[in-house]
Amino acid sequence: MVSFDQLSVMMPWLVLSVGILVTMMVSVIRVNTKRPAQIFALLTLAATFFCSITNIPTSSEIIFHGAMEISALSYLSIALLSGLGIFFILGTSRYLTKEEIHLSDYYHLLLILILGASVLMSAKDLIVMFIALEVMSLPAYTLTGFRRNDPKSNEAAIKYYILGGALGAIFLMGASFIFGATGTTQLASIYTWSQNVQGDLTLFYVGHALVLIAFLFKVAAVPFHFWKPDVYEGAPTSVTGIMATMITAAAFVVLARLIHLVDLGNTQWLAYAENLKRLIRLVSALSLIVGSTILITQTNLKRMLAYSSISHTGYVLLGLLGTLSDPSRIYSVWIYIFGYSLMTSGLFVLMSQSEPKADQGTELIDLTGMLKRNPINTLFWSIFFFSMAGMPFTIGFFTKYFVFMSSMSAGEAIYVVIAALCAVVSAYAYLRPVGLMVMRDADPSAAEWRGSPVGHSMVFISAAFVIVWGVMPNAIIQFLKGIPLQH
Amino acid sequence: MENIDTLSVLLTVPFAGALLSWVIPKGLQRLYAIFGSWVVLALTIYETASVLFATTASQASSLALEQKLPWVPELGLSLHLRLDSVSCWFVALNAVVALLAFSLRGSWYRKNPRLFTSLGFFLVFALNAAFLSANLILFYLAYEAVYVPMILMVGIWGYRAKATSVYRFFLMSFFGSVMMLVSIIYLVSLYHAQTGQYSSSLFDLIQVTSTQSPESLRWCFWGFFLAFAVKVPLFPFHGWLKEVYVNAPMPVTIWMSAILSKLGVFGFIRFVGPLFSEVAQRDQGLLLALAAISVIYAALLAIRSKGPKTLLAYSSISHLGFVMVGVFALTPSGNSAAILLSVGHGIVSSMLFYLLHLIEERKEALSLDTYHGFAKLYPTLFAAFFIGVLASVSLPGTLNFAGEFLVLLHAYPASAFCTILASFGVILGAVYMLKFYQRIGFGKENPDAVTTSGTAVKDLSGYDFLVLLALVAALVYFGFQPAIFLKGN
Repeated sequence: MVSFDQLSVMMPWLVLSVGILVTMMVSVIRVNTKRPAQIFALLTLAATFFCSITNIPTSSEIIFHGAMEISALSYLSIALLSGLGIFFILGTSRYLTKEEIHLSDYYHLLLILILGASVLMSAKDLIVMFIALEVMSLPAYTLTGFRRNDPKSNEAAIKYYILGGALGAIFLMGASFIFGATGTTQLASIYTWSQNVQGDLTLFYVGHALVLIAFLFKVAAVPFHFWKPDVYEGAPTSVTGIMATMITAAAFVVLARLIHLVDLGNTQWLAYAENLKRLIRLVSALSLIVGSTILITQTNLKRMLAYSSISHTGYVLLGLLGTLSDPSRIYSVWIYIFGYSLMTSGLFVLMSQSEPKADQGTELIDLTGMLKRNPINTLFWSIFFFSMAGMPFTIGFFTKYFVFMSSMSAGEAIYVVIAALCAVVSAYAYLRPVGLMVMRDADPSAAEWRGSPVGHSMVFISAAFVIVWGVMPNAIIQFLKGIPLQH
Repeated sequence: MENIDTLSVLLTVPFAGALLSWVIPKGLQRLYAIFGSWVVLALTIYETASVLFATTASQASSLALEQKLPWVPELGLSLHLRLDSVSCWFVALNAVVALLAFSLRGSWYRKNPRLFTSLGFFLVFALNAAFLSANLILFYLAYEAVYVPMILMVGIWGYRAKATSVYRFFLMSFFGSVMMLVSIIYLVSLYHAQTGQYSSSLFDLIQVTSTQSPESLRWCFWGFFLAFAVKVPLFPFHGWLKEVYVNAPMPVTIWMSAILSKLGVFGFIRFVGPLFSEVAQRDQGLLLALAAISVIYAALLAIRSKGPKTLLAYSSISHLGFVMVGVFALTPSGNSAAILLSVGHGIVSSMLFYLLHLIEERKEALSLDTYHGFAKLYPTLFAAFFIGVLASVSLPGTLNFAGEFLVLLHAYPASAFCTILASFGVILGAVYMLKFYQRIGFGKENPDAVTTSGTAVKDLSGYDFLVLLALVAALVYFGFQPAIFLKGN
């Protein structure tokens, strides 16, 4: 039975779901104006945000017969997602108008995506995970293809859809293998099962490998990264930003859960933990090397950020590598996800604010001479790029520091050195656009499209947080340190 | 110990200077920058005086000022500042060099002047933070923060090949410092494994490294070594230097040669020495050989160089090679000799670059292939130039003589061969510096050398004269009183 108590802890999700229905109805009734849908979406997200941020539970609770977990992590996830949602809606509304894709459908699709992502981050059952994954992904495919008249956008949507469908199938197959081996789909029961197992575990190994591959695919770890640059480039900039932050964050939380599917500290699983470490090491090093070396050859800003996110995937995996020997190090991953979402969202909103008119996306060369044309934007670009490169006094430094610390404490010095070398390589790539902005003179014919004041203030807020939390990260670290990866 | 809490003034005042420059009118930026750097200099002297002018060794070491504020305990990062007989010289040099760099006139006060002064004061702030820090992560943060103003200043006001040169500079330095970060993280994780707490305080980590076997710390040592060797730079990590010195605007060149290179020297003395004394001892032969090769190789390059800035750039590497010979003697007295020579080199190289800028204001694109004959036109300027050249070739009576002599003296027991090899650098130094002076000062007076605008440019201005006079006085005074530097250790 579902009791009232269980419903009340579900409040943020309920608010969001009701909001989705209202927004959808509004967009059906007032089909020709997008303003009401936008306002309702904002109201929904604001309500969800306050509902979740003010009631963060101190203990964790498994509800709906093991389907979902209500914990500080799940409340924080939905707060982060709805906060990012508000940020993107306010920041990119003028961009959508400019691209002539400002439709009211955009808003309820975005809300559905947020709902899917937030359920995914709290799911404790493989079936719920799959459903949430699909709820999150279907709006993402649609939003990617929103620029209907642009072949690149269509290509991106189809590519994303087909590969995403395949990945869903892989996940489902893995889940069924795990069910075959363990007799349950609930993560908590699988964990209990793992503490005392006998017999042949091949079926479980195969299943576990398949579900991990599915989510390594979703976070675009090398060698599962080929879809990302094309999808990033084709999707509208605002949607790319949503993908880069919300979907990536959700996928990483699930990946962390799935890696810790069994009790790795148990003596029975020690050999398996070693194998998992080998896998994560390999994927992390490959993502770092491939991501950061291809990064420096890119000329399109969105493709560049796609490779950048592939290399960031490598860093998060490095943090996860440290958790394999001590799960309490998981906070390095939380800090990374949080910091990365913060700077990436700012960067994408800034990009949507300064894209040249009627363009397919910003080429690096478009930034040339920005210092003279628009000194304020130059400052913001520089802050975000320096943060991406991990320079001190930005949040990007601390995110990197903690994942390095996590895997260094686990004795993975060689992989930290590899990651550090890759940080140097990618720093060059991030410095290059800054160089173009300040070192060259502008092409006078380059007329620039300037975004809305609201968008600029969003960029300002995000840049300010990148700096403030880069100088005073105490509060964030304290807060995220207390959040364990629940079993 | 009464002014224990005032140490952070050395950070807050330059930082406030960086912010304040945005409300000062564009035309007044140079005046503002000079005034601001005088304020910083006065504060620095006030703060360092008690340590600088302590009369005895025991007094000097007891007078170390410390200030510790928590910052990010989860990292072991605290605002742990320490002003002692090592750092006070570098902090003082920083203030002097900033004054010189800000005094130069040029395109930086015409194009985006506010940004220039702001970045300049930020650089002073970051350098002070690096020199004062007794916490490794704080040091790393400050060390990295130095790149931002450097890159932007070269990028915005630099010359021809600025992009390539600044990328090369950044990549090589960043490579080194990231390796240092990995080593720091390794040490902090060792401390965490032993005590269950995070700390990156130098003194805590020294305790950790003293319990480890030198073999296990070896790679960690090379991580630090790479960072500082690129910064100094030591042969064979000097590839970035020439291009960026030549293409940077003159204030940045002054900052780089006079103070940024000292960041590497300081790092070796403050961190590498105490943390890895045993490890360094094992590789001392190699380290000294690298330093001696730097001296000779860079001096040979300087003799062959065609442009005045290139020549001074290589001479800088050569002199820093001497400093490193002193550092790699791995003794306290070798360290104080190295500090002495660092200050000497800082003053002399900034003075020579300053004078070179004054000459280039009068005639652009100097080449060392021909004689220019400026000495007759600008006698006072060239008198100062001559003193700078003599100090650079370490004439007895200048600070540099005392420095090079003591360095060679203290390094001799460690490796006689390397010391003798390095001492040939003194002779080679005389060869290129005298050639330099001769080509620019002497020869037939060149008619087109007068000015580009037609009116004869004056000799030294009153302000420049005073600044240079003060520098010469400092060189000579400390040249006769080098003992001030030596009592700390």
